[in-house]
Amino acid sequence: MLEHIELFFKSIFIDNMVFATFLGMCSYLAVSKKVSTAVGLGAAVIFVLAVTVPVNWLLDQYILQPGALKWLGAEYADYDLSFLSFIMFIATIATMVQLVEIVVEKFSPALYNSLGIFLPLIAVNCAILGGSLFMQSREIPSIGLAFNYGLSSGIGWFLAILAIAAIREKIRYSNVPAPLRGLGITFIITGLMAIGFMSFGGMLTGGDEGAKEEAETAQVETVKKDTENKLANNTKVNE
Amino acid sequence: MSLKSTLHNLKEKYKGTKMAPAFNALHTFLYLPNDTTHGGTHIKAADDLKRTMNTVIMALIPCLIFGMFNAGYQHYHALGTPVDFLSWDSFSIGLIKVLPLIIVSYGVGLGIEFLFAIIKGHEVEEGYLVTGMLVPLIVPIDLPLWMLAVAVAFGVVIGKEVFGGTGMNILNPALTIRAFLFFAYPTWMSGDKVWVHGAVERANEIASGANVDVISGETILGSLAQGNGAGYSVADMFYGFIPGSVGETSTFLILLGGLFLIFTKIGSWRIMLSSVLGALVMGLIFNSVVDAGWVTVSSKFYGLMSTEFWHHLLIGGFAFGTVFMATDPVTASQTNKGKWIYGFLVGFISILIRVFNPAYPEGVMLAILLMNVFAPTIDHYVVQGNVKKRMKRLKAKTA
Repeated sequence: MLEHIELFFKSIFIDNMVFATFLGMCSYLAVSKKVSTAVGLGAAVIFVLAVTVPVNWLLDQYILQPGALKWLGAEYADYDLSFLSFIMFIATIATMVQLVEIVVEKFSPALYNSLGIFLPLIAVNCAILGGSLFMQSREIPSIGLAFNYGLSSGIGWFLAILAIAAIREKIRYSNVPAPLRGLGITFIITGLMAIGFMSFGGMLTGGDEGAKEEAETAQVETVKKDTENKLANNTKVNE
Repeated sequence: MSLKSTLHNLKEKYKGTKMAPAFNALHTFLYLPNDTTHGGTHIKAADDLKRTMNTVIMALIPCLIFGMFNAGYQHYHALGTPVDFLSWDSFSIGLIKVLPLIIVSYGVGLGIEFLFAIIKGHEVEEGYLVTGMLVPLIVPIDLPLWMLAVAVAFGVVIGKEVFGGTGMNILNPALTIRAFLFFAYPTWMSGDKVWVHGAVERANEIASGANVDVISGETILGSLAQGNGAGYSVADMFYGFIPGSVGETSTFLILLGGLFLIFTKIGSWRIMLSSVLGALVMGLIFNSVVDAGWVTVSSKFYGLMSTEFWHHLLIGGFAFGTVFMATDPVTASQTNKGKWIYGFLVGFISILIRVFNPAYPEGVMLAILLMNVFAPTIDHYVVQGNVKKRMKRLKAKTA
């Protein structure tokens, strides 16, 4: 239970898709002009991530990993299909996005129109593929955690696009210098928002390690200084 | 010729030229304009932006003076040769160390503001007046001046001017400056040495083999995090005879400043109150977790978690951040309901970061920055909720 909660908060705030890894920037920048469309896209991303990550987890466990094909029989035990990861993951993602597109078109034509090309483009949104690949590289141990990871990464992305959309609505009347209008200022805002999100960096894990490293370097430095001083003293004596 | 007419003449002389905004700003900062408007209807109000800013600075002055005394007091205290708090010895150290910080902060910041005003051809905006005063109050006293200058330039240009100047920024500029310093020069901004004048130098001297006594300038938060207890009485914490950055130590004077801001209706009492509530709630949660026995002494969070919940209000920069920075009218939530939510989350997250994030003991700065990011979202939903409510009412009426 504790690991679920930890993973949930970690993927929303600490390893936020946008502010920590800067993934999914294209639709994040393009569809964040209005809060309502941003919410629509964010919800779609949450859904796609929450479905594709566990499905890809199953693929990874039972087909792609080295030795994953053991269940077919002993002779398949040393097959390694992990070079197929990308194409398999993308296939799952594209299928899910098609599904989302059909559903959204049927039930919310207005949202479908305002999202435009960016709805099918979720399929190539790097945050989605990134979710699956992170799942693979971090070796998430169970399907429950994989679902949790997909869902919470999606929520993190959702929060990011929601906040930037609200900020962009707010600064619509600001007198931004002409060369920075549009994407320029959005990038700057994203950077500043990432500073805000850095408050969580090091929570739960990183902080200790960082402190330790610092202490170690400090020690090394003092040792260095000591030797330098000794050398300096020696040279003085020699003179 | 009086100063006023000199300034007025200068202003008239440069009227219409590129330099006009600079002289205009100098004139109107000190005096009212010489001429009055003719014709039409006018509303006369005393609280223009300059007066608003000056009111906040007035609320900050007691903290500043106290901070100067305290800087020297803590310095001698750490040296082991305590002097009286209200003595010239302690004040002079504070004065020598704090005044350059103020001068650099104002010099660089206002310089950039003037430059932008001249290039863009608008009047100089007053937004930096408060920021420039806040910055020296929240940085370590021994901070090298060039670092401060770099950070101020970053904060003013990237934090404010690229958005179009005062009133348009999304993050509080003073906190942007501090966050920049914090992430760019972490060795100067955190640790147990930076908050007392001379402690860093002394540590270096010792490291290089000098035979002198160690100064510890450890803050209460630091020693609590290591489970050593506060080491100061509640009264000391409340009145501010503790190590810390210049402005933040005296909760008492900050409280007075906050009351002054509320009385003059410049600071939002909703934000201050709800943020205190948020901090208390979070502190109570931690206390009850400790009482329930889920966290034992062996946990590295025990020290801060078991701190009595209301002590959190007195230590660290919580009071200062809540009163002077969370209430920044530009970056906080604008709606009344939004202010409650915003303030509550500021307090809540401050204590959360303070306790759970060993890397950043000063959670208040980061909590406010984070909530600055989400303030427009909160506002958006408060406004939408209001619209929906009214639509419903309208429907009920017309139906």
